Amino acid sequence: MTEKQSEKWVGKSLKRTEDNRLLIGKGTFVDDIRLPNCKHAAILRSPYAHAVIKGIDVSEAAALEGVRGILTGEDVAKMSSPFPCGVTIPTKYYSCAIDKVRFVGEPVAVVVADDRYIAEDALDLIQVDYEPLEVVVDIEETVKPEAPVLHENIGSNIYNHRFFKYGDMDKAFEEADFVLKEKYKFPKYGSTPIETYAVVASYNLISEDFTIYSNYQGPFVNHALVSIALGIPENKMRWIVPADVGGGFGTKTGMYPYIALITLAAKKTGMTVKWIEDRREHLLASATGTDRVTFLEAAFKNDGRMIGLKDKVMDNTGGYIRAPEPGCAYRSTGNHTGAYQIRNLEREVMVVGTNKCLTAPNRGYGCQELYFPLERMMDKAAKHLEMDPADIRFANMIQPDQFPYTTATGGIYDAGDYPRGLKKALEILDYKKMREMQKEARAEGRFIGIGIATVIDPSVTNIAYVTIGKTIEERGNEKPKSGSGDSCIVKIDPLGSITVIATTNPQGQGHETVISQIVADEFGVDPSEIKVVNTIDTNSSYYTITTGSFSSRFASVGTTAVVIACKRVKEKLFKLAAHILEVDPDQLEFKNKIFTVKGKPEASIQMRHVAGSAHWNHSSLPDGMDVGLYGSACYSMPTSKPPDEEDRVDSSNTYGFIAEVIALEIDPKSCEIKFLKWASVHDAGTILNPMLVEGQVMGSVAHALGGSLYEEFAYDENGQCLTASFMDYLVPTAMEIPKIDIDHIVVPSPFTALGSKGAGESSTMSIPPAIGNAIADALSPLGIEITELPMTPNKIWHLIKQSQT
Amino acid sequence: MKIKGNYKFKADQQTVWDLFNSQESLARNLPGCESLLETEPGKYDAVVTIGVAGIKGTYEGKVELAEPDPPNFYRLVGEGGGKPGFVKGEAAIKFSTDGQNTVVDYNADVQIGGLIAGVGQRMLGGISKMMLGQFFKKMAKELKS
Repeated sequence: MTEKQSEKWVGKSLKRTEDNRLLIGKGTFVDDIRLPNCKHAAILRSPYAHAVIKGIDVSEAAALEGVRGILTGEDVAKMSSPFPCGVTIPTKYYSCAIDKVRFVGEPVAVVVADDRYIAEDALDLIQVDYEPLEVVVDIEETVKPEAPVLHENIGSNIYNHRFFKYGDMDKAFEEADFVLKEKYKFPKYGSTPIETYAVVASYNLISEDFTIYSNYQGPFVNHALVSIALGIPENKMRWIVPADVGGGFGTKTGMYPYIALITLAAKKTGMTVKWIEDRREHLLASATGTDRVTFLEAAFKNDGRMIGLKDKVMDNTGGYIRAPEPGCAYRSTGNHTGAYQIRNLEREVMVVGTNKCLTAPNRGYGCQELYFPLERMMDKAAKHLEMDPADIRFANMIQPDQFPYTTATGGIYDAGDYPRGLKKALEILDYKKMREMQKEARAEGRFIGIGIATVIDPSVTNIAYVTIGKTIEERGNEKPKSGSGDSCIVKIDPLGSITVIATTNPQGQGHETVISQIVADEFGVDPSEIKVVNTIDTNSSYYTITTGSFSSRFASVGTTAVVIACKRVKEKLFKLAAHILEVDPDQLEFKNKIFTVKGKPEASIQMRHVAGSAHWNHSSLPDGMDVGLYGSACYSMPTSKPPDEEDRVDSSNTYGFIAEVIALEIDPKSCEIKFLKWASVHDAGTILNPMLVEGQVMGSVAHALGGSLYEEFAYDENGQCLTASFMDYLVPTAMEIPKIDIDHIVVPSPFTALGSKGAGESSTMSIPPAIGNAIADALSPLGIEITELPMTPNKIWHLIKQSQT
Repeated sequence: MKIKGNYKFKADQQTVWDLFNSQESLARNLPGCESLLETEPGKYDAVVTIGVAGIKGTYEGKVELAEPDPPNFYRLVGEGGGKPGFVKGEAAIKFSTDGQNTVVDYNADVQIGGLIAGVGQRMLGGISKMMLGQFFKKMAKELKS
């Protein structure tokens, strides 16, 4: 056995194969796609948050030299129908406002012109006659009877309303030693990928086919939704996503309405139309995370165990509700009780509308919103019991011998060792010493706080979760939905090279690199010998309805599809090699790309010659064997099932774990936060490429630091967005990111081929509560509770002032 | 957005009132005012160019000096729009005598929308105060000359 074959590529920090082309500026992004006679679009957007469109006059704009066509709501209403959405009465959501605008930035018209300059100039010449209406921007105000109603067909601003019961809550409250209540607010914040939305749509007048390039991140279920809305058959609406996309984070799942809008502009003008979103458009009107108000009530025993949890959540999806909403409220169903053994849960879910920008998943969809209240509540109970916040978590945790563990809500936790994870994080922080230091600092009047959060990091969303937005009766009338599939083709070329055709829809994570590591291990070759093609073309790719780069699907289901495809092509290689060598396949061993009969080193054949036979000499194949050498897999996790009759669902298919422990100090004068020490311990199962996982964790730190301390889409009372540039929408930069001690425990998942679990959403869900807990801990001598984010210095200053009066 | 304040002029109330009703003086001294044309008594068509937070643009609109109560009070009502968005608002302007001086109190409520709101609104309060300061200074200078 050679040195090379004994070493595994999986688990190594192999440098990214993608980086060579990116670093020399040779990546292929949507804007790099130059089609002949391409025209350029600019979008007119509503300056009002809520208004009736009484008329649109485009005559002056249409007369401008270089303008090729203008699409308005009137056209969109004629050419399409509203997008389907999984609620009882969907809002009439089109890609463009029809007769009313419901948020600032909503598209009102599209100008297609010879270049973007002309298109932008033409926007100024369009006269829109608006009649402003009363505006509502607050989650709790919008459900009051006096609030202006956004959608007449619904009659109120409640888009979705459901109740759930798991276990026996009455008994839990009866048996409780104490019950705590609190109201928490999670902010409307988002992702700001380097590459904004981008679409190029062309229309073939002869075949009536549409070809649409975009940097869409999936899920490709929306290809079907757009097909329904535009009345264009799926096979005549070809979506292509290039290999390079500059970040998604969930935001780009929300771009399908723009794909539809630019497609309609191409259809109306009969031209190829390119639209590259500018940064202001992105901040104003692409998609933000879902803001939430949570009313939490928790029943505890005096030993710290939480025995019952009751929550009412109010999610705000803005001016309309669009898929995958109301998913924010349901995506965490299976892991709603976190890392803990809580068997009794009651939920009321209310998804509401206000005159604000629409929503899409924001890295850690539904879980950021879930864990901030849950983990704050754990600390509140610890304080009530004068118990250490670490100990209350140990007292509630699911134990290592309980896996696979089925939660009260139907989640099937695959594998984990949560106490070990938290212990490790506490060790890294030197927790006891830090507590002593805190005591001394407190005596000096300094504000040092330690915050802990232990959370479950779900990955591989099962699309079934969205369907619990409807009642069991409503679901009974519809066809069930379930699944979390991914696909892959591995082929051995006629001269023996290996090509992998993947559709994991990467947004910059380095999937090509990891796939080459996995396949190199399977075939005993160097990763540099593997060619990975990872783009999507709905006309020719082998993909699934759940294809897309979201819910950390790649590391678990994506890689499993790759491994299965490798195994299938290898099985065929073995069969064919055995046929040629006239032995049974199990008599062969495969090393250094050579098949050898065990114990007979002289009887061997090179892999390339086997491949050659399959491609060049079809008559050499055994009877019934397909020609060529392809292995494919279109794999869905077997636990992905529709919800049961009690609304239980395994909403994700692997469940990682994060222990976040943060020590910080607050300057009492400036209220600035300084991080003293930060331990972030993850269980993402088998680590495929440590460097890439570290990159994901650091990215999630930057992301969540934004939502915890800086970022919020702020609106005035008229629904005007006050944060439409990076001057007001504060994103942390390298200067604000502290040093983090990242570490791992590895408890492999039994459900994935390599034991890996998702690693992409990561600390986005554990940092907001950990920081909230740390700030509350620091300010606890003043009796201050932290119930909302982001905790800007300004807010902390006010809290301190209030506490002193 | 609400803006409140006052400015003291070294002149009698009638003189200040006249100044604040003079189309020429207003046109000369309003920051960024390119034209102010009286369409009927107390009503004007205005063109104003101002820049806030890097967003420079021209606004066309209508201004009315409503509810005049000479020489004590009028209400300035205006609305306009342009490339950077729209501005709508009104200001109660009160004139009162304080010894040798006249005090002009203003209390404005302004609504803005579009680009200027998204990008500049948080700075607008400060900028409006600054521009109002410039306006009053220029008006005061005109009184002296």
